Amino acid sequence: MNKITHPDPEELMAYLDGELKADRSKAAADHIGHCAECQELVSELRGISQTLQNWKVEPAEVPMTAIEIALAENRTASRTVPPVHRSRWNWFLRRNQTSFAWAGGALAILLVTFSTVPLHRRVSISSVGDLVADKKRTQLSEPSSLALSMPVEPPPAPPPAPASSSPSSENYSALASAGRLRAQQNQMAASLENPSSDQPPASQAQVASGPMIIRTAELSLITNAFDNARTNLEAILKRHHGYVGDLKVGGVTGSERTLTATLRIPADQLDGALLEIKKLGRVESESQSGQDVTSQYVDLEARLGNSRNTEKRLTDLLRDRTGKLSDVLEVEQELARVRGEIEQMEAERKTMSNQISYATLNATITEDYKAQLQAFPPSTFTRLSNAAVEGYRSMVDGIMTLALFLLSTGPSLLLWGAILFFPARLGWKKLRSRFAS
Amino acid sequence: MLEFQSGSQPAFEQLFARYRGSLYGFFRRRLDGDQRAEDLAQETFVAVIRAASQYEPRALFRTYLYSIAMNLLSAERRKQLRDSPAGKVSSEPASHDDSDAALWIRQALARLDDSEREILMLREYEQLSYTEIAELLKMPVNTVRSRLFRSRMALKEHLEPSRKVRDTAPGNATQGANEAGRLARAEGEVL
Repeated sequence: MNKITHPDPEELMAYLDGELKADRSKAAADHIGHCAECQELVSELRGISQTLQNWKVEPAEVPMTAIEIALAENRTASRTVPPVHRSRWNWFLRRNQTSFAWAGGALAILLVTFSTVPLHRRVSISSVGDLVADKKRTQLSEPSSLALSMPVEPPPAPPPAPASSSPSSENYSALASAGRLRAQQNQMAASLENPSSDQPPASQAQVASGPMIIRTAELSLITNAFDNARTNLEAILKRHHGYVGDLKVGGVTGSERTLTATLRIPADQLDGALLEIKKLGRVESESQSGQDVTSQYVDLEARLGNSRNTEKRLTDLLRDRTGKLSDVLEVEQELARVRGEIEQMEAERKTMSNQISYATLNATITEDYKAQLQAFPPSTFTRLSNAAVEGYRSMVDGIMTLALFLLSTGPSLLLWGAILFFPARLGWKKLRSRFAS
Repeated sequence: MLEFQSGSQPAFEQLFARYRGSLYGFFRRRLDGDQRAEDLAQETFVAVIRAASQYEPRALFRTYLYSIAMNLLSAERRKQLRDSPAGKVSSEPASHDDSDAALWIRQALARLDDSEREILMLREYEQLSYTEIAELLKMPVNTVRSRLFRSRMALKEHLEPSRKVRDTAPGNATQGANEAGRLARAEGEVL
């Protein structure tokens, strides 16, 4: 005989009370239909309810006096006190709290997406002037025949005194941090002066939504105003809130000078900055690349979340449970490992956020070198004195070379001379006596 | 209620008409004397009128109304406890005008645990849903369900003598009920 599984009696009761969900209700009804035992329970429960209904209460005679007084008071109050819109509004707000929260969140995401990601697209439609500028930019990326027709503007602003005016090869890495600081200060100042028009740089918070792209650009320029190139470059960086990652200026007299810089520019301002930098000279080559790291970023976030949860669980475990010392030590070791992982991932995320927020631009600016005609050839006296100095120097060099040679090879020459002297003399004597005879 | 809140008199009349009977029944079944029940029903409506401007429809109006009624009821019980010289208040109301059947049900209910009785009465007489009862008594819905079941089962046990009597005289229900009442009263005296 098959064993029948009865539903929970409470569930049957809930079914009778109409408190069961539709699917369970159907199952309960089906079961009651063919189970005599449960039918008995159902009839018992119904009987109880019916019995209870036998306790009837005579119709009420609720006195109205106090109610009427209260109603009158209420009417007066509603006339003097402003209507209850405030409380209704509060109620509306409270009731739709979740909906408001969702709507607010969606709006914020939309705003962030709009302000960070497709700036280059917005540039192309924002205004006619920008359209023209964009067109120019496109032309510049074409072969250099077109680029030659581009008007090369003189440096736009008088350059401030550079940190070092020496044209010799110099490493400006130390200046990078100072540049960054300056950029930040300028940005703060600009936002204070005109907070509405100045767009803040892409921050890490903005990275959190939309496609995450690490943008890198390479640009090679030839300029005939090399001396101003660096100051102009810094001015452009200032305007776009970027900073210098690395900067080198090199070159020797009689050949062209080169400026190599790694610039970090807020990703949404890269196009604008590129456009301006290109005006510093003739574009030799340009390339741009974008690496989509959305999946890596999301993955990293998820792993970070998981590790944080594990950390929390382990901490709870340590706090709430008591156990053997060895177990506690094991949990602590595990906790230390998880914390290490979290820190590593956070650093990774920070780096990635920085790479996403700030595009990298490798710029090379080369001087358009023109060989200089020597206007003043050296005088005869200079040439004679130069020749005398040269003669003296070569004589000293010769003596020194001979002395060095003798000192280094003298001892071995003497030795070989001593060894070979007597056989050579004997040989010589024999040879002379033969010729004499 | 929202209409009344915005000043509509007919809205209140409608509310009053709808809940007057059940609210009176609520107090009548829980307290001695119909006069006091009438007063408390009136007080409940007065409280609704006075608190109208602060009303926020978080739950059904019915739940709101019964929560006020519950507060008034517990205040009344405290007052009775304080006033009673013996310091003992019977939760069983006086049976001056009750039928035997009502009296007998009352006694059976009185033998239930306080919380279980309240849940059962709210369900059976006030027809509140499990959720409303849970909200009113500030307990989880599942607790309400299990206590309701327990109280019904316990009540069945208490009602059993009546059934037996009724079974012996199925043709005369009133007589059966009367006998059951007598039996229950006798039981009460024994206990």
